[in-house]
Amino acid sequence: MTKDQNLPENENGVLLHLEDVWKIYQMGEVEVPALKGVTVEIKKSDFVAIIGASGSGKSTMMNLIGCLDIPSKGRILLKNQDISQLSESDLATFRGKTIGFIFQQYNLIPTMTAFENVMLPLEFQEIDDKIASKRAKEILAFLGLADKIHHRPSQLSGGQQQRVSIARCLVTDPEIILADEPTGALDSVTGKNIIEMLHRFWREEGKTIIMVTHDQNLAKYANTTIELKDGEIIRIQENEVNEI
Amino acid sequence: MKLNKCLKHALNMVLHSPLRSWLTIIGIVIGVGSVIAIVSIGEGMEQSLTEQLDDLGMDLITITPGFSRGGDMRFGPDREGGQAAEGQATDDETVLGRTDVQALRGLSDIELIDTQIRGNVDAAYLGKSGSVSLTGVEQKVWSQITTSEIRDGRMLDSADQNVIVIGGGLADNFFDRPLGINKVITIEDSAFRIVGILDDQSNSIIMPLQMAYQILDDKEKDVYDSIIVKIKYEDDLDAVVEKIENKLMITRHVTENDKDFTVTSSKQTNEMRGEMMSSVSAFLTAIAAVSLLVGSVGISNTMFTSVLEKTKEIGIMKAIGARNRDILTIFLFHAGLIGLAGGIIGVIFGIILSGVMPSLMGGLPMARGGTIVSVDIIIIALSVSVLVGIIAGFVPAYQGSKLRPVDALRYE
Repeated sequence: MTKDQNLPENENGVLLHLEDVWKIYQMGEVEVPALKGVTVEIKKSDFVAIIGASGSGKSTMMNLIGCLDIPSKGRILLKNQDISQLSESDLATFRGKTIGFIFQQYNLIPTMTAFENVMLPLEFQEIDDKIASKRAKEILAFLGLADKIHHRPSQLSGGQQQRVSIARCLVTDPEIILADEPTGALDSVTGKNIIEMLHRFWREEGKTIIMVTHDQNLAKYANTTIELKDGEIIRIQENEVNEI
Repeated sequence: MKLNKCLKHALNMVLHSPLRSWLTIIGIVIGVGSVIAIVSIGEGMEQSLTEQLDDLGMDLITITPGFSRGGDMRFGPDREGGQAAEGQATDDETVLGRTDVQALRGLSDIELIDTQIRGNVDAAYLGKSGSVSLTGVEQKVWSQITTSEIRDGRMLDSADQNVIVIGGGLADNFFDRPLGINKVITIEDSAFRIVGILDDQSNSIIMPLQMAYQILDDKEKDVYDSIIVKIKYEDDLDAVVEKIENKLMITRHVTENDKDFTVTSSKQTNEMRGEMMSSVSAFLTAIAAVSLLVGSVGISNTMFTSVLEKTKEIGIMKAIGARNRDILTIFLFHAGLIGLAGGIIGVIFGIILSGVMPSLMGGLPMARGGTIVSVDIIIIALSVSVLVGIIAGFVPAYQGSKLRPVDALRYE
């Protein structure tokens, strides 16, 4: 797999830098701040768990980190690139190549097969069909879905769907994996499988993983825990990572 | 995303479209179908006109009494007796007679002159009778001038008396039994023997002029309903028309302003009919185009719904790297494909419709030429329907492409 973006990182290995980031939603006449001046640095090859109760702003933070939204105030530097300076189309391309998403509800396209879903990000990057198809099949096989590639999401179990979505995330070889409650919709055994899989990508492939969760038990897999409350960071904690 | 991939995803969307999308297609189907059907009739008319033009011969000029500016369809406001006298010699002053024929004989460009009278008569055969049109002709000349072909028997001859040539329709279908050569039918109580049957579908009877004067007793001798001349050189047609007009104006002591006769060439007649028919078919096409317009509104509506339905998918696609223009292209292809599907089904529908149309329209002269569905019109119809789809789908597709990924992802 090739690294498509080779922008220099900070000398100290900071991949993502949030600088006094505010996100304010306009609810009719009222302004509701969802994030209030968050400043945080995430280094390359970190496994960060963002935890907090619902309404604490973790989803908002996730959207900002994933370049799905832009801050109301403050700067987000991803690989030294201020994301609010990028045009829509550059941002989309940058996002597609740098970040892989894993969602709680898998977010697969229901009318496409597993294989087509995994191919999709490569098609947006206009990668040659032969290469793309080979890579997609390899990854699906790696995730134990070799016999399911022509199944549609509706024909797959929750765990299988989440593995397809992980395959879709990994197929572009992103530097950052953003996982939003990746086990939220799964039973505990399947959920554990998924989180262990993520853990392996972190340990063995050196991926940077940012995971949003409300589950304290999942947070212990991460080497850094960021706790949010009412739109502010109340605690950043380095963990001893349990060997699995 | 490459265009072929966009097309693939758009096709995937259309194939997974709910029933509603297919209902939308019906709007386009009806629009395209009716345009095809109407245009096919138009082309059929045009072709039959062209054939008639060939049949009629480009070297015939018809002179009728009275003046109606038939050539260009403009009727002079001050032309008394203009329209009224069309084709029928009456007791009015505006008649064509011997002197006119004499005048025409003086023109060197004219090869043959036929004088005709017309009327409706009762014809009877084996107890069955009915009204048919009768034309009295200068038999020797007519045989050389007419563009009709003989199917059976022979043309009229100069020595003929009490014999007739009849149209194919009259021979085959008019009476209880088909008529053949040498059968005798009764026309206004006089018996006539059939010597020839024309190769057409008309119900007309052609007989020697002198006999016709006897049968049509309201006609005055040596007064003609029309004079038909054949010119020597086809290329001179327009010039000869003018010469005839000038000559007759002099002999009839009239000027351009109170002209009391009409000179038409077969070319003019056909041009006029062609114009009429193309304006009729343009009008009908415009009506059909309205249904295409309604169909496009339907596409627009469906595309708005489709974009709304796919909002979450748009969000997902954007999250994994889709640019606005990728989304725009996919949805434009989607709309175009709906248009194309409607177009294809519409073309099939139109071809079927144009096949049954002539029988639906019965004996209307418009449909006599049958219908022709040309490749051109199919290609045009398909391109128009795709274009209509894309135009109708543009606004919804644009809106969809502009969705912010975070909002689109949150949409349930």
